[in-house]
Parts: sequence; C-alpha cells; structure tokens
Amino acid sequence: MNALEAYNLKKIFRKKNQIIEAVKEVSLTIPSGEVLAFLGPNGAGKTTSIKMMAGLIKPDYGFVRILGNDPHKNSQALKKLGAVLEGNRNIYWRLTPEENLEYFGVLKGLSQREAKKSSLELIERFGLQNKRRAVVQNLSRGMQQKLAIAVALINKPQLLLLDEPTLGLDVEATEDVKILIKEIAASGCAILLTTHQLNIAEELSDRVAIIQKGKIVTELHTQELIRQFSGASYKIEMENSLDREMILKLQTFGVDIQYGKTIYIDTQDVVYQVLEILNPLPFYKVDKDESDLTQIFLKLVRGDDNN
Amino acid sequence: MFELFFAEFKLSWIEFRRYPLESLGVVFITTIFFYALFLSTRYIAGPSLQFGDKLDAIIVGYVLWSLVSFVLNRIAFDLQKEAQTGTLEQLFLSSFGATTVVLVRSLANLALQLIVTLGILLIIIGLTGRSLNFPPALILPLISVLMSAYGISLMVGALALIFKRIQQILAFFQFGLLFILATPIDSFTGINLLLVKLLPMTTGAELLRDLMARGNNLDMAKLTFAFACGAFYLGIGLFIFNLSEKAAKSRGIISGY
Repeated sequence: MNALEAYNLKKIFRKKNQIIEAVKEVSLTIPSGEVLAFLGPNGAGKTTSIKMMAGLIKPDYGFVRILGNDPHKNSQALKKLGAVLEGNRNIYWRLTPEENLEYFGVLKGLSQREAKKSSLELIERFGLQNKRRAVVQNLSRGMQQKLAIAVALINKPQLLLLDEPTLGLDVEATEDVKILIKEIAASGCAILLTTHQLNIAEELSDRVAIIQKGKIVTELHTQELIRQFSGASYKIEMENSLDREMILKLQTFGVDIQYGKTIYIDTQDVVYQVLEILNPLPFYKVDKDESDLTQIFLKLVRGDDNN
Repeated sequence: MFELFFAEFKLSWIEFRRYPLESLGVVFITTIFFYALFLSTRYIAGPSLQFGDKLDAIIVGYVLWSLVSFVLNRIAFDLQKEAQTGTLEQLFLSSFGATTVVLVRSLANLALQLIVTLGILLIIIGLTGRSLNFPPALILPLISVLMSAYGISLMVGALALIFKRIQQILAFFQFGLLFILATPIDSFTGINLLLVKLLPMTTGAELLRDLMARGNNLDMAKLTFAFACGAFYLGIGLFIFNLSEKAAKSRGIISGY
C-alpha cells in the first residue's frame, strides 16, 4: 500500500467576483521510504495541494488516501501523518521542547507515557538535550526547526509532509536538517518535500514532481529527469578568460565558448584535442555537462509559460 | 479523551505558572472595576445607604459574569492566538478533531478559571464587607450556566475561525453578558420576563443568586429549566462550530485570513 495517494485533486477559491483555480489537476503517489520533491514557482498550487493531502483544505474534486484512509473523512488517517508547515510556526514558543513534544504526542493520539518516551528519544536523536528545558522563543531558528520536525515525528508517522523545511536556516542548520531527512526516509517514512532550494531537492529526493499553474508538468525519478535533460557533452572551465586568437583557434573544432571562459564540447576525442591547444593555460574544471535540477526546473517552468 | 484533558490541563498550568502576571492582572482589573462602581454608588447614595441582599445579588451576578467572560473569551482568543502564531493547523491535524480539542482545552482551563474567579469573589467580599452563602448545591446551577457559556463560546469561536480577528464582537458579547448575568430577573415582568428567561444563563444565574445571596433553597423546576437551556445552547454551539470548521476547510482559511 502506498503511504500517500492523491488522485485528480482540484481546488477553486472564490473571492468576491473572482474565481481562482489554485489546483487544476494534481495526482501523486508516494510509497514508503521514498522522498518526493514537490517543486513549483510561487502561486503554482504547492501549498494548497499539500494542505488538501493533509486534510486542512477540502478538495472540490478528487480524493486523498493516507495508507488507505481518507484524512477528510476518517480522522484515524491523521494518526499516520506528520507535517511541518511553512514558517517558524508549528510549535508553542512559550513551552520548552520537552513540553511541546509531550503535548503534541498526546494531541496526535499517544498516551501520556508513550508521548514522554517518544519525546526523550527524539530529544536525544535531534541533539536537543542541552536545550530541552529552555522555552522555544529562546532557541535559535535552526533548533526551532529541528524541534518542529521532531514534533511532526512524535507519533512515528508513515507519511511526513515538509513544506520548506530549510527556509531561513543557516548553513549548519540546513546540513543538520538534510541529514535528519535522509535518516527519516531510511527508516521507512514516506516524505513529501517542497523547497525553493533546488540543490537540496536534488540531493534528497528520489522523485521530483513539478507543478505549474495548478497542474503537474512532470513527474519522474530525480536521476532520470536529470539524465533526460543532460546531453553527452563536456565542459572545460578556464581560470582566466581566453584571448581572441585562442577563441578563433578553438572554434575551428566546432566548440561553443561562453563568456570567454567556458568551453562546451560535443565529443570526448575533441576534448583531448582542445586540451592539447589550451596547454599550458590554467583550467579550473573539466566535467560532463550535466544539467542540474535548477536548470531543468527553469526550462520546464519558462517553457510552459511560453506555451 | 482523558489523556487529552490531562495534557490540556498541564498546558494551562504551565502557562499560568510561567506567566502568572497575566492571571493576576485579570484579578486586579476585575476587582478594581467593581470596587470603583461600588464606591461611586455609595458616594452618590451617602453613608447611610443599606444595600441588603440586593448588593449580594449584584456581587454574585458580577463575579459570575467575570467567570463566564473568561469562558467566552477563551475559545475565541485561543483560536485567534493560534492562527497568529501558526499552530492552529497543527490542532486541526489532531485525530481528536478540532471541535473536541477546542472544547477539552477550554474545559481543562476551567479549573484555573474557577480558582481565579474564587479569588475575585473573596476579594470583593472583603472589600465590600458583605458575606455570601456557599451551599454545595450551587454546583448544579453553576454547571447549567457553564453549559450555556460553552455553547456561546463555541459560537463565538466559530466566528473567530472564519474571521480570525473579532475583538469588537467579543466586546459586544462581553457587555451583553453583563446585562444578562448581573440584572436580577425579578426586575422584569410579563412578556419581558419570559424573553429574559429564554436567554442563555439567566435562570441559572438567578438560582445562584437565590442560593448565595438570598439564602433560599434550590428550586428544582427552575433547575430543570436551567439545564434544558444549557443543553440547548451547548448543542447549538457544537453544531455551529462544526459547520464553521467545515466552512474554514472548504475555503482554505484555517491558517490565516
């Protein structure tokens, strides 16, 4: 059974005389242990889609199942769900991490004893021991976010929704959160992750779904998507800009030179010939010209805009 | 459900213990307000004025109003605060359901509210030099008043869920309640008396005045009517809050405007 099944979700908002089709058609499935990066520009419908999956917004059409249960009709579905929603919300700032974890544990259906036990385990796992008795408003942003993720895990959910989990975090806190997300997925939890930091999505996700104007425009395994958009070409990055004479000499091999420093070459044997000519000029990097998720995202989103 | 009640009680107790000035501030303001009115009345009427048990009845009505105001404000205020701080959506993710969480939270807070109200009552008694009866039977009409209070609180909470900021509406309810609870029923006659009896909490408040201020026995017919009113308004409140929750989910406005 899939951890999440969302089929043909649609949501229209009516504001005064305006009709806004926030989500036109979104269908997703996530099996256990998989991380799906759910990407899209601002206003594309990501947050509305996630909230429909969490049971916070009622879809106009379509259905959601969390391990076979509908969160809009059966509150038991919520026992299997954890969510960290956007911003520095999700927890009580006037309480300590320990108090937050115990309270939300009971709120999510655990007994007081189970909540206490789970709370101590999570405090240790998330490195919050030294701050377990400090009120949340006195913690750093990174610790607050780690605590928000810990609270979402208190009931050992099988589906975790993370909406911009690294937003506003410094480098160290971002790395900590990335490691935690990998560990959580490795333990069998399905994760739906939204982020504008596409390098993080590329690093963490098994699959990517990109939403644009309320519709999913692509949904593939991450590496398959990158492979589809990457060619077989190579790239040499020079440390210094090439002079005009050198550029003209290189162009006789049919290469493409950008900004006077980056040379794009179609085949491997031409690479050796180009390196021969460039010798002994210092170069920075020789690499396969692989697209990253940022370039793919921009191509898809801008391409859809042009259509 | 008991686990949830205990967790909510613990939450209220932590906030009360950690930020005691908030509760103490309420006690101070509520008692000072009454005492100021009392002193002004005595100044106007002169030192020879004898209040009798009429003042006792007013004290009971006023303190009951302060308790009911706490109950009324609690759900709406909590929802507004949770919407502003962003934890409202986490409450809606609970498998207990939002209505249950909101109601249990408010009930769990009642114990602390009763302690604060008792503090206000004792201070006012001390300042005015009056004395009141505290028969155990007063629990019954008090429960009937609280049932209606929770019903109204849920209705106001339903508005808070949709509109988020309802300070003006809360003020309207608060002072409307003062009229309902502090005005003795025997000052009305005829059709007005009937209409006043159908308002929430009026019969229960009158029973409390009978027991505590006038030293009368408990009127079982009135008590039955008070409980029926309480059940009616509580039922309406639960129904309206449920509808409001569905509307908020349909309009996608649980988190904010």
